[in-house]
Amino acid sequence: MLSEIAFYGALETGLIYGLVAFGIYLSFRVLDFPDLTVDGSFPLGAAVAAVLILQGWNPWLATGCAALAGMAAGAVTAILNVKLNILNLLASILTMIALYSINLRIMGVPNIALLTEETVLTPWYDMGMEFHQVPVLLFLIVVVVSLILLWRFMKSETGLAMRATGANARMARAQGIATGGMVILGVALSNGLVGLAGALFAQSQGAADVTMGVGVIVIGLASLIGGEAVLTPSTVLRALIACVIGAIMYRLAIAFALNADALGLKAQDLNLITAVLVTLAIVLPGVRTNLTNRFTRNKA
Amino acid sequence: MISATDLRLTFGKGTPLENPALRGMSLTVNQGEFVTVIGSNGAGKSTFLNALAGEVLVDSGQIIVDNLDVTRLPTHKRSARVARVFQDPLAGTCENLSIEENLALAIKRGQRRGLTTAVKKQYLEKFRDSLSSLNLGLEDRLGDKMGLLSGGQRQAVSLLMASLTPSSILLLDEHTAALDPKTASFVLELTTNIIEEQKLTALMVTHSMKQALEVGSRTVMLHQGQVVFDIAGKDREGLEVKDLLGLFENNAAWKWTTTAYCLVNPGLL
Repeated sequence: MLSEIAFYGALETGLIYGLVAFGIYLSFRVLDFPDLTVDGSFPLGAAVAAVLILQGWNPWLATGCAALAGMAAGAVTAILNVKLNILNLLASILTMIALYSINLRIMGVPNIALLTEETVLTPWYDMGMEFHQVPVLLFLIVVVVSLILLWRFMKSETGLAMRATGANARMARAQGIATGGMVILGVALSNGLVGLAGALFAQSQGAADVTMGVGVIVIGLASLIGGEAVLTPSTVLRALIACVIGAIMYRLAIAFALNADALGLKAQDLNLITAVLVTLAIVLPGVRTNLTNRFTRNKA
Repeated sequence: MISATDLRLTFGKGTPLENPALRGMSLTVNQGEFVTVIGSNGAGKSTFLNALAGEVLVDSGQIIVDNLDVTRLPTHKRSARVARVFQDPLAGTCENLSIEENLALAIKRGQRRGLTTAVKKQYLEKFRDSLSSLNLGLEDRLGDKMGLLSGGQRQAVSLLMASLTPSSILLLDEHTAALDPKTASFVLELTTNIIEEQKLTALMVTHSMKQALEVGSRTVMLHQGQVVFDIAGKDREGLEVKDLLGLFENNAAWKWTTTAYCLVNPGLL
């Protein structure tokens, strides 16, 4: 079975990937913009936060700058698409590749340790809570605040315009919405959230690494799709809650898989498990409807 | 007042598929006029409407809407003056958004959008009032997803959305063509009522010559990207489809296109 520490660890990373899932919900679902920039903006957030913290910045300020850096990366992707007419998927791959070099430049070295530095978590450890519960509580607060802000934004005039842009661009233009501007704003916001997640991840793991972004997009998608399978996203609020649920479920599933000795899985199998889980999450809802259809047809 | 002067637009310039859609198209629509536009396939009707809306930019010529030269402006910058209903009932609304959210998008057409709640309480009464005028019971379904509505209902809501805020011109692009006959006549009646009540200036493209003569105050026929026929007032009163065909008796080419057109679409006579 899962140890208490492994359980809290899964919750902690799950909450961080909840932020990534918010970002992917914005790009993939709201804007219908398949954005792979996240594989670059996640380590970008980590790199910016790590370097600034090493230079003695306030960790929250450093985290804020990480989110801004993520937004800038997202804006570049969207501008490549909107202004230069590069296919959205390709535009995001270009930014992602470029970010690998940029992240190395920012950090100067491939890996920065933060174990001895003051992070956003440090003051909380001094409050006398259990060591492994601190990050869960703090990240829960961050996720809930982000969720509420994002939900309010989606209900605002600008947010509604963004949803219309993704759902029906021609109609949006006819209503006077600058659809290009909305795509840039949305993809920037999306990657801002991912940059924030990267910064928090680096601080909770005690290190920033240039390779830590590999597969973030798949994990985020897994969380998004898994969450949607559990909680039908009929409203924006439900869709956002589904993102968090999906991310935590995903991390718990991974933790169980790795801890179940009977399965004989090891840490290096992580990406394989992820691919299998994503495939299942995509296919299972379809299988369920197929079965229901068969069942009802037989009855009739 | 809308004036389009000598509009020219060629698609696929310099390719084997070069297609001159507008060839010196000029038309002036006065305040309060309801113009119906007919023409065979490829006559340039849709291109003309798209050019007025800003979805395509013309190669040359000038478009003026209420003293503002909009020739080079993109769609969203014209939208405060130009309202539009599309042919496809699915195109004018967002199916993933609720009815009230769609209306809230339309009530801000062409205006700045901020961070305040989009569906404001003070809008709801106005939404209910306009929806109840449709007699479809939609006023009690404000929170329902647009996708739950039928094509005719969605087109009726599109029409409401286009008339929710004032515009210099309302563009109707064969907006009843994709509906069954009964729904089509309902939406058409709704159209004429709204245009009359709000004294709108409107341009309606239609495939039916009968409809073109029955509705509105002026009829324009396009052919090969130009206005070839423009009739209004006394001359237009009592005019029937066969008269319209007769007007082209002397011109073999016209006769051929219009007759062929009616042979292909006998139901529209």
